[in-house]
Amino acid sequence: MAKALDEGPADALAAVAALRRLADQLEDTAVEQAMRTGWSWPEVAEALGVTRQAVHKKHAKRLIAAGIPLRRR
Amino acid sequence: MLAFPTYLRRLLEHAGPEAQRDHSATIEAQHVLLAMAAEAGTETSECLASAGLDQRALRAALDLEFRHTLSAAGISVDKAELQRSESTANRPLHLGTSVQHALERGLGATREAPRPAHVLLGILQADVGTVPRALALAGIDRSALIARVRQALRAE
Repeated sequence: MAKALDEGPADALAAVAALRRLADQLEDTAVEQAMRTGWSWPEVAEALGVTRQAVHKKHAKRLIAAGIPLRRR
Repeated sequence: MLAFPTYLRRLLEHAGPEAQRDHSATIEAQHVLLAMAAEAGTETSECLASAGLDQRALRAALDLEFRHTLSAAGISVDKAELQRSESTANRPLHLGTSVQHALERGLGATREAPRPAHVLLGILQADVGTVPRALALAGIDRSALIARVRQALRAE
């Protein structure tokens, strides 16, 4: 990170934006893997440090559309 | 030619899957640009093509920007790992700030009837953000491309 900050604010800010994108991508993949292997919504929520409602709202629709079996909340 | 509101609605509809492919909950300027580049024979896609930017080249430039930026932050990404998520579709999408700013820039600065090229102009005129960084990394002369779009707008 130090290198990005050394290269100026534009690079440092771009790094923040890219890391957010990367986190979103990793979250999608990790939640999908967890649900495929039978994790429940409360377990996923606790592991991510967010509420059940938040994780359900963010991921349920796409996982259902992908035909992934989901445990009840 | 489509009426502008219809064009814009369709453009954003086509940008939606690009945002979803990107695991993004918002449609950003780069997603709109990818949708524009995929159009066939339109004024905007021809402007982009004049700079060598078809959808494939643009996607490669954006991918390079993502990796380059993360690399500068000390992170390397295994693309195959990220592509393992299959369920990116059907997430509710909202219009991102970069698109809102691009529309304000492109459409707000003209007294003419709005045209697709105004949207492209608004996207290209961003001096910071993912799009200008990706174009710079790909060696695209953004000023020349902006001039090309302005020329197309003048030509009618």
